[in-house]
Amino acid sequence: MQISASHRKKRHFRLGRGVSYALLTLVSAVVLLPLVLTFLYSFFPVSEMNAYLKTRGNYDESRWMDVLLSPSIVSLRQYYSLLIEKPVYLQLFANSVLYTAAILLGQALVIPSLAYALSRFKFPGRDMLFFFVLMLMVLPFQVTMAPSVLTMRALGLMNTPWAVILPMIFSPFYVFLIRQFMVGIPSEMVEAGMMDGAGTVRSFFHVILPISRPIVGAAAALSFADCWNMVEQPLIYLSNFREKMPLSVMFNQLSLDESGVAFAGAALYILPSLLIYSYFQEDILLGVQLSDMK
Amino acid sequence: MFTRKKSLWLFLLPGLAGLMLFYVVPFFGGIYFSMTDGTIHNQFIWFANYQRVWANEVFLLGLKNSLELSLLCAPSIFVLSFLLAVMLRSLAEKSLPFRNVLLMPYLVPSAALLVVWTLLFDFGGVVNRLVVAMGGQRVLWLESGMLRVPIVLLYIWKNVGFSVVIFSAALQAVPVEYYEFARLEGAGVIRQETRITLPLILPTAFVVFVLAWVNAFKIFKEVYFIGGAYPHDTVYTLQHFMNNQFAKLDYQLVTTAAYSFAVIVFVLFGAMYLGKGVRSSAN
Repeated sequence: MQISASHRKKRHFRLGRGVSYALLTLVSAVVLLPLVLTFLYSFFPVSEMNAYLKTRGNYDESRWMDVLLSPSIVSLRQYYSLLIEKPVYLQLFANSVLYTAAILLGQALVIPSLAYALSRFKFPGRDMLFFFVLMLMVLPFQVTMAPSVLTMRALGLMNTPWAVILPMIFSPFYVFLIRQFMVGIPSEMVEAGMMDGAGTVRSFFHVILPISRPIVGAAAALSFADCWNMVEQPLIYLSNFREKMPLSVMFNQLSLDESGVAFAGAALYILPSLLIYSYFQEDILLGVQLSDMK
Repeated sequence: MFTRKKSLWLFLLPGLAGLMLFYVVPFFGGIYFSMTDGTIHNQFIWFANYQRVWANEVFLLGLKNSLELSLLCAPSIFVLSFLLAVMLRSLAEKSLPFRNVLLMPYLVPSAALLVVWTLLFDFGGVVNRLVVAMGGQRVLWLESGMLRVPIVLLYIWKNVGFSVVIFSAALQAVPVEYYEFARLEGAGVIRQETRITLPLILPTAFVVFVLAWVNAFKIFKEVYFIGGAYPHDTVYTLQHFMNNQFAKLDYQLVTTAAYSFAVIVFVLFGAMYLGKGVRSSAN
């Protein structure tokens, strides 16, 4: 009796795994499909893509769009056109790189040390300050945007790149993320360093930061995603400054004007994020796992 | 824990200064600003701006849409990511490739996806082929009220992975023995998940839900890409309202709208937080 029951349970369990496997494969395929299509279509000739995109927006019930899977000829023409013939794309791409680099650099200087102060020091007002960070994190951009425009105007930074860069450097979410990790580091590790005469600065650079590597890596990758994808901030802060816009805002416009090369544009635009992702993916999984997410 | 160290300021000051300058001070200063009339006399007019905002139909439309869209996105992401995390756990170490795939879209810029998205959801596109294959009628996904579907799906596609990661981390912390014991007691899979897993990961689930909701409030990019600055009435978000008022240089109205929204957000999360506190102290 007992044997058959446990046998049935085991089979049930295996069945569950099979179902999980099948469903996850399906979900993964759906998730990957748009990316795969983007890269595939980027190797189609410009004329073929133009013709294909013209079949969009057709309301005739009897007609379908073709499902294109292989190009008449594999072509790098789209890339050539974007990278060599039309400097606009590269300009916007460079803008995106500059914004992202400036913000990440600023965050590297400010956020880990602020998280350190909030997690490993005791001082009056600390909990109050952390509460502010939490509140700011919960507030949507629509709310923090309006008041920070007032600061920008007072500082004369409206319609300069600094208006986009500076507020994002002090992003409360990453302070929270890294702080939650640092709080969980056992104090014995810091105390051992102090026995050897390390002060607060030494323990930051030689104990806390090395241990926090996964979460710092995760924060860097997630913050990269934010910067590379930002739309709201430039739209507000750079309203009169079209040529300083990042690619994320202008890409739409660009692909409307030049639909034949839109897929190569999208592929080039996605590529850096995939590289960053493949470099940091373990950090994201590990960092979040080790952080106290409560 | 360090106490009374001068070096504290070294670590605290740069970040604190920035937070104060760009977030905290303008936040409080803005409250005053939202109660002035914005003319050269700069008169203090109490809540007149708030009355003006709450009487503004476009603001109400944006607010309603932002709330509705977030209520479509956040619970879907919450449920979906929990189910995916449970499935991932059952595959143990074989789940790694799936995890990597699921999180990938989080880093991908949504602007780059737009072209493919409009292809897939075209009237003659793949999605409608599926709909017809399953015996349905073709749908005009990219127009009118149905526009919400591709927008919400793009949002879920992009954001579900991050919640899966947080949920997975919490699931791994649940001791396996609990499930073995429950199985011996004859509890089925669904009972195990609802009676063991859910209560144990409740604090994390709370964080996942709050983050998913907060982020879903911000939904705008996806709409802006597909529908532009003046999209159809069913997807006109609060951010559209803010941007368009901003372009008209009506800063008072923008700021007042922001605080009206802030009050709603604070009340919602305050209520959720209290609810959570009551529940966990009852246990």
